[in-house]
Amino acid sequence: MNVRRPLVWFAVLGVWLATPAPAGAHRLDEYLQATRLSIDDERVRLEIDLTAGVAVAREVFAWIDTNRDGQISNAEGDAYARQVLRSVLLSVDGQPASITLTEIRYPQFREMSLGAGTIQMRATANVSATGAGRHQLSYFNTHRSEWSVYLVNALVPTDPRIRIAGQQRDRAQHGLTLDYTVRGRAPWARTWSLLTLLAMAGALSITRWPRAGARA
Amino acid sequence: MEIPSETLRARIVNVFRPLLIWLVIVLPVAVGSAQRAVAPKPAAFAAQGAVTARVVAAANRFLATLGDAERARCTFGFTSSQRTGWSNLPTGIFQRNGLRLGDMTSRQRDAALALVAAALSREGYQKVTDIMNGDEVLRSAGGGRTGGRQGATAPGGAGARGGGVRFGLDEYYIALLGPPSATAPWMIQFGGHHLAINVTVVGPNNVMTPSLPAAQPAKYTLNGQTIRPLGHENDKGFALINALNPAQQKQAILNYEVRDLVLGPGADGKVIQPEGILASALDAVQQGLLLDVVHEWVGILNDEAAAAKMAEIKANLPRTWFAWSGATKNGGLAYYRIQGPTVVIEYAPQQGDLDHIHTIYRDPTNDYGARLVVP
Repeated sequence: MNVRRPLVWFAVLGVWLATPAPAGAHRLDEYLQATRLSIDDERVRLEIDLTAGVAVAREVFAWIDTNRDGQISNAEGDAYARQVLRSVLLSVDGQPASITLTEIRYPQFREMSLGAGTIQMRATANVSATGAGRHQLSYFNTHRSEWSVYLVNALVPTDPRIRIAGQQRDRAQHGLTLDYTVRGRAPWARTWSLLTLLAMAGALSITRWPRAGARA
Repeated sequence: MEIPSETLRARIVNVFRPLLIWLVIVLPVAVGSAQRAVAPKPAAFAAQGAVTARVVAAANRFLATLGDAERARCTFGFTSSQRTGWSNLPTGIFQRNGLRLGDMTSRQRDAALALVAAALSREGYQKVTDIMNGDEVLRSAGGGRTGGRQGATAPGGAGARGGGVRFGLDEYYIALLGPPSATAPWMIQFGGHHLAINVTVVGPNNVMTPSLPAAQPAKYTLNGQTIRPLGHENDKGFALINALNPAQQKQAILNYEVRDLVLGPGADGKVIQPEGILASALDAVQQGLLLDVVHEWVGILNDEAAAAKMAEIKANLPRTWFAWSGATKNGGLAYYRIQGPTVVIEYAPQQGDLDHIHTIYRDPTNDYGARLVVP
């Protein structure tokens, strides 16, 4: 497993932390970036919800509405989503995973300007060669870090073969490293269940025979 | 020596008979007794049924005060999108459906609040009242300047000046989803700024997840009394973290900041990987403190339903996690989360503001009564 890439990311984080925040930073200035990750043995799904605070909503809208016509066109929306995803680093077992945007929804500007509208991005990353065994996923988001606060969480895997064994984050939740295990598929599981059922059925039929004989 | 086939069968039967008896008799009895350990006793079940009858009667009394047009605005289908259409945000930012308290006659308003009171416990209704009064204090003070991201006004103040954003006592809404019934599922939605109460009624069962009690200001004075709508949630949380020994605190305290709810509005059906310390690693006194914290949310609902829910949470206590982030001295800024198989509670000061608290109460298996409602 390649552990160098997470180290590089944490070095990036160290540099970022050493950079003083803008003097005007304030609670209302926050741009909340909440990410949920879900893992299966073939892909990682990302749900990224971006909510701008009242005082930064106009700036955030301006980042997206690049032609300043007051509307977010499909092209502008896609371009901003890709910009966000370029700030996201995702790897599994040290191998970078390419992230593909699958869905993006923008609120109305009025909602955003009131600090309520949330940009909802959905993306996936295909993960190859993560068979049975131990794995490590690393996620790191540096998008607009001077404006932002972050939440990042893993969803409980829906595949019972996958179990998250450990989570580590940096203090500001830019990044999340997940240690997880994947159990191999059990080809004998179904066969074993079938055999058990057959054995029980056999036992039941045997118990009925002597009574039939007795009546005879 | 050859064994006669009948004898062989008899021997096999003798070998398998105990196993079969165990499967047919003992296993169902064991499963049944395990279920009974969590399921309400008949007397409790009857009491819950009586509560449902009381709530249904209160709902019908409220509906009887409404004209046809008002009733049409207030009632929705049980499975309509209104069910998940709740928020902590004020009017003007979030389009809340139902009947607005400020548009009701005093008779209608009294009947609406009587319905909410019938569904909740005395303490729960007081908490709801304290949250609403706090919002009125915020409105009167032209407040809402902090916590801009969730549940606040536009810069420059409150009320209509903030682009039509309105809050205060008149801005709470009530909606009924499905006709009030002692047997068929239906739901009461009551909410406004910093409050979303969702009570699903399914026969004798009353479910209050998901719900979002919040407070801004977290402390205010009314009629000479100091009110802290979520004061117990704060103080009991700090009491619990300080009851843990250093080794336990090391497990419970997260090494990162949590600046908002993780499973707030819109996060229905999400189950995050739990963190912190397992309640099985706590002693009996600490477990008692944990349950006492949980009861601050569960106990908003009427006593009978809350008792059943607490029994369920207690049965799952060994698989329940407690996580903390932030200061451990009461008065400091701290977030906490309690997460078990059938409960998720988050307590989250907003954007570093101790006077602006959001919380969420969920059941990943039974939000909106999902476990009880047959599709």
